[in-house]
Amino acid sequence: MGSPVKDVSIPENAPKTLLLQKHCDYIAAYGSKKDEYEYCMTEYLRMSGIYWGLTVMDLMGQLDKMNKQEVLDFVHQCQHECGGVGASIGHDPHLLYTLSAVQIVTLYDAQDTLDVEKLVQFVKDLQQEDGSFVGDKWGEVDTRFSFCAVACLALLGRLNEVNIDKAVDFILSCMNFDGGFGCRPGSESHSGQIYCCLGMLSIVGRLHHVNADMLGWWLCERQLPSGGLNGRPEKLPDVCYSWWVLASLKIIGKIHWIDKEKLVRFILACQDEETGGFADRPGDVVDPFHTLFGITGLSLLGEQILKPVNPVFCMPEETIRKAGIKLELLT
Amino acid sequence: MHGRIKVKTTAEQQETKRKEREKKLKLYNAATGKIFDKRKNKEFDDDLLALTGEVLAQNSDLYTLWNIRKETFLHMKEIKTKEEMEKICNEELYFLESCLKGNPKSYGTWHHRCFVLDNMANPDWKRELQLCNIFLEYDERNFHCWDYRRLVVKRSKVPIEEELEFTTNKIHSNFSNFSSWHYRSKLLPLIYPDPTNPVGVKEEILLKEFEAVQNAFFTDPDDQSAWFYHRWLLGRGRKKMVISCLYASRPQNRVIVSTSQPVLVGSNHQMEVYLKDVSIEGSWSNVAGNGSPYSRLWISFKFCLTG
Repeated sequence: MGSPVKDVSIPENAPKTLLLQKHCDYIAAYGSKKDEYEYCMTEYLRMSGIYWGLTVMDLMGQLDKMNKQEVLDFVHQCQHECGGVGASIGHDPHLLYTLSAVQIVTLYDAQDTLDVEKLVQFVKDLQQEDGSFVGDKWGEVDTRFSFCAVACLALLGRLNEVNIDKAVDFILSCMNFDGGFGCRPGSESHSGQIYCCLGMLSIVGRLHHVNADMLGWWLCERQLPSGGLNGRPEKLPDVCYSWWVLASLKIIGKIHWIDKEKLVRFILACQDEETGGFADRPGDVVDPFHTLFGITGLSLLGEQILKPVNPVFCMPEETIRKAGIKLELLT
Repeated sequence: MHGRIKVKTTAEQQETKRKEREKKLKLYNAATGKIFDKRKNKEFDDDLLALTGEVLAQNSDLYTLWNIRKETFLHMKEIKTKEEMEKICNEELYFLESCLKGNPKSYGTWHHRCFVLDNMANPDWKRELQLCNIFLEYDERNFHCWDYRRLVVKRSKVPIEEELEFTTNKIHSNFSNFSSWHYRSKLLPLIYPDPTNPVGVKEEILLKEFEAVQNAFFTDPDDQSAWFYHRWLLGRGRKKMVISCLYASRPQNRVIVSTSQPVLVGSNHQMEVYLKDVSIEGSWSNVAGNGSPYSRLWISFKFCLTG
């Protein structure tokens, strides 16, 4: 007996065009509901939330709708004495939010908002003997944190501060039989982790370690009959994988291995015509996270009305170019 | 927000929900306010555990509150007796289990469980393995739980042969279990190593695996898990490092080397070419011209081959 393919069907009446202005309005309004339940319950990831919102607005050409000074004041207040940045005021420093903060000040070309020296020291101190990075002083190891560390340092022009050879060795120790990567040595491949590991290798110019054909096969098999992409075999499609999988394929030069038209159709069907924003799947509740990854997915697929997105940093290509960062991508 | 279906509601329902949420939010704000105050005043006591516990039971992604709990534990470890501490830790494990039931994919909750176990004098790892079995019954693809399982196995020295048996059983109950196939690819080279084989596993074992995976894709040819595993068994993913081609042109003084794997040629890593045991000098450049010190194709234009 075969197990049924896990997928969704796209309703006939699902949106088929990009509702650009609705998304801008949705994101612009999101930050003004600071007293609402939903907003407060996501405070533990606020710094990333702000980065998602600013990036998607910038890609849609409407960054000026956001309150720059308010954002930068907030970022400044979230940096701790140790140099690390927390998700919100009073929340503990962590690499995840430190990267989001660095991305925000790069978008605004306002690095002086942060104490860069201390921040670099914070990142340096998180590297372990085996080359891995912990997320904070409590010691959780994850390849996501290797990406965060290297991405932070690259955006600040300080890559030479950590041991790159060891960092690469750790990433390679997380490579699996399918060519993908997991959280730690022994962990199963997952598109999100693959994106982080490829991004990390791209920044430090070591993509030659990747078996692009084998990994490309695993990645393009993420596409389901609905056109949507899942994150692992036998899982449901989700708009955020339009980013993790597509960006990974872009990095290894295999983006043409998926059916573009079907994926565009799936992403567009995840829009909410009433509220604006994207959900994970057609008919679900929207949020800023999926809104960013819906838009970045469409940008990678060549949607002309959006600014081109950089597949490694998930920021506008022009911002990365201005920052003078050179990346390795396979062709 | 994953997998939350949008439901149409009436104005009345919305109002009820709004009021409910307003109430919840008030409680949440009051609790977090107290928690941060207590932390500031270094009051690492039972009350702080109770307060953080209430909030985390509702929202286990609040990483800072897990950190505060860790601080509380480390403080208590200093002042409480071993027996008292053992009791507190066991209560914490029950609490964590209920949090995981509510949100089995919270990074913070799983990590906190590792922290508690690592801070116990006599951790019961058998119980932890049992917990993994239960959570993998609920969701056989939960990678957080698989990773925690691997940690438990490492810490408590569970024989890896038993783990292989576990994956066999999982696959028998459902072929379409990519997590189990993945785990096998990690276990087999440890249990039946053969460094001469491209996959690193003894040939007779690979043949058995081949039969098992064939059964899987005969049963369900559309299932991807088995096909990925199949390709790995055939060893097609790996290429041995060999010189694929060496080209030398005397009239052009040119040498081109092509290898099956990228090689590093740079400041401290030189490639040397010998002609009749004589090392010949030259400088190498990457054919792609992208300045990368790693390439599978290197060229040198100024070799002196006339000698």
